[in-house]
Amino acid sequence: MAVIPATWDMYDLIQGVLQAPWYHVVFEVALVLLIMKIYYSQSFSPEKTVLTEKEKETLIEEWVPEPLAPDVPDDHPILKVMEKYCIEGQNGKYVKVNGKSCINLATFNFLSMVGNKEIEDVALKALKVYGVGSCGPRGFYGTMDVHIQLEEDLAKFMNCEEAILYSYGFATIASAIPAYSKRGDIIYVDENVSFAVQKGLTASRSHIRWFRHNDMEHLESLLIEQSKLDKKNPKKAKVTRRFIIAEGLYLNSGHICPLPKLVELKWKYKVRIFLEETMSFGVLGATGRGVTEHFEISPDHIDLISCSLETAFGSTGGFCCGKKFIIDHQRLSGLGYCFSASQPPMLASAAIQALKMLQAKPHLLVDLRENRVKVLGDSISPIKHLALAEPAGDPGLDLRTLEMVVDMAMNESVALTVSRYLEPEEHLPKDPSIRLSVNCELAQDEINKAVDVIQRSFQSVLEKLSTRSPDVSSPLDSVQEMKKSEVASR
Amino acid sequence: MNVGVAHSDSNPTHFYFNSKGIWLTYLLLVFGVHLLLLSVPFFSVAVAWTLTNVLHDVSMFVMLHVTKGTPWETSDQGIARTETQWEQIDFGKQFTATKKFLTTVPVVLFFLASFYSRYDKYHFVINASVLALNLIPKLPQLHKVRLFGINKY
Repeated sequence: MAVIPATWDMYDLIQGVLQAPWYHVVFEVALVLLIMKIYYSQSFSPEKTVLTEKEKETLIEEWVPEPLAPDVPDDHPILKVMEKYCIEGQNGKYVKVNGKSCINLATFNFLSMVGNKEIEDVALKALKVYGVGSCGPRGFYGTMDVHIQLEEDLAKFMNCEEAILYSYGFATIASAIPAYSKRGDIIYVDENVSFAVQKGLTASRSHIRWFRHNDMEHLESLLIEQSKLDKKNPKKAKVTRRFIIAEGLYLNSGHICPLPKLVELKWKYKVRIFLEETMSFGVLGATGRGVTEHFEISPDHIDLISCSLETAFGSTGGFCCGKKFIIDHQRLSGLGYCFSASQPPMLASAAIQALKMLQAKPHLLVDLRENRVKVLGDSISPIKHLALAEPAGDPGLDLRTLEMVVDMAMNESVALTVSRYLEPEEHLPKDPSIRLSVNCELAQDEINKAVDVIQRSFQSVLEKLSTRSPDVSSPLDSVQEMKKSEVASR
Repeated sequence: MNVGVAHSDSNPTHFYFNSKGIWLTYLLLVFGVHLLLLSVPFFSVAVAWTLTNVLHDVSMFVMLHVTKGTPWETSDQGIARTETQWEQIDFGKQFTATKKFLTTVPVVLFFLASFYSRYDKYHFVINASVLALNLIPKLPQLHKVRLFGINKY
């Protein structure tokens, strides 16, 4: 049949080799040579840089071994503070420093859950049932019924589909960010975010675009810039995820984020929002549901809310909440969830009790809000930073000035703290400040006393310094002015 | 494969071509497809060999040089997303045993197809062009190079 092409026998085929056209022979010889070359080539890594002998020697000569242990100066602030102040007992509303009871304005015990008798009883009861630790990560054998109950309660409280519990507040947001944002993705983030967020950004390996603190115009200009780039390269834009990360209430400044504007930008430029609510959870909003409730925005608009149980709730750990399909991703990809032991069950029970109390006693929040209004002017935030209005230009000097104020206040039974940062690791250098945080149980006269003491401490430190050395007097004059105006307004 | 456990690489695409018996499996698979084609009544031996060669080269091109990323959830924060399978094999090292083997197979198939098609010029054009599709992207000079930005993202 003509449709079936000719089939040769072996004799024909061998004859074919002898009659092969010249270009075919050349091509096959070239292929054989190529294969020979490949077989005799040493394997190598194309990414590795190859150094010459001379370069190697200069590198060896330049190398200085690092000390096995870092050199810690004797006057390191942490060492000094550890020697200076010794705390006994719980850091409740009052804290016992060097045997002296002081009003505590230094820890984030906003709802006075630390040292609360009811919570203590519940935690002790749980201790007798479950023992101290959970002895394993959630995915193995560290899940107890209280963990599941706490997750359900928190999800219900936050009006979200699901919540995921972490055993350490710092690790919550630091694990959540790299679980979603990968290499090549873009994160827009406020310059003043806390250290935990910064660590999450580093771990994500994404492109970071910093916008000025609470400056929505700057953020929008960055988003417009990116949308222009995206138009030029739609293929790349299609595989790039975009996130905005903001804190509900900024630990480092005491400001609240402009959430309505953020949500508007989110929908306009198709970006996802992650909110870090370590400070605002249990603090802002009519029932303590955080910054979404404060602005009356449905949590459905926020892709992920990350909160800590270590501040207002006085327990340990943290949680993320949002839609089920978003949160479930973390059960295998949240590193802090997968690879560390779960929260001790008694602390989970303590958090459940704290949540119950917050729901049962909404007046805690009213008390807290009244307290901040009376202490620190019109802003609603329970965290305030007192900074020098005209800093000396040397952060070390400013810090020492503020430390003197703290010492002075401590003598008069008011525990304050300067805000401490891991300076070389921070994104931006931080201005030295005294960080105040109030508590819902503080009574009117206690607050008046504290304000009084702070005023007097600033005054006396100023006087001391201005008489001793004239060159530091000018920044300290401003301290006094600031103290008068700032304590009232900021 | 165990991904993310203590004694594993985060990305199994780096080394699965070095596992036991996989070269033999691959060769048997090619041979099996060839037998199938040979059993089709209206294909001559020449057509069956050229078809084997074309099918093999095109599918290997798609699998090794077009497909990017890995089917595994890796902990490399998405670095494999931008790399083809060929670039991930053996951590991107060039001229390793696996890579030498994978380069030799299409060349040998080309020789066989040429021999059985009696060095016909039409068969030569088809076989040589699909061979080029398989040899050129394997060159170390083209490691992570995307010509004209094709398949970049």
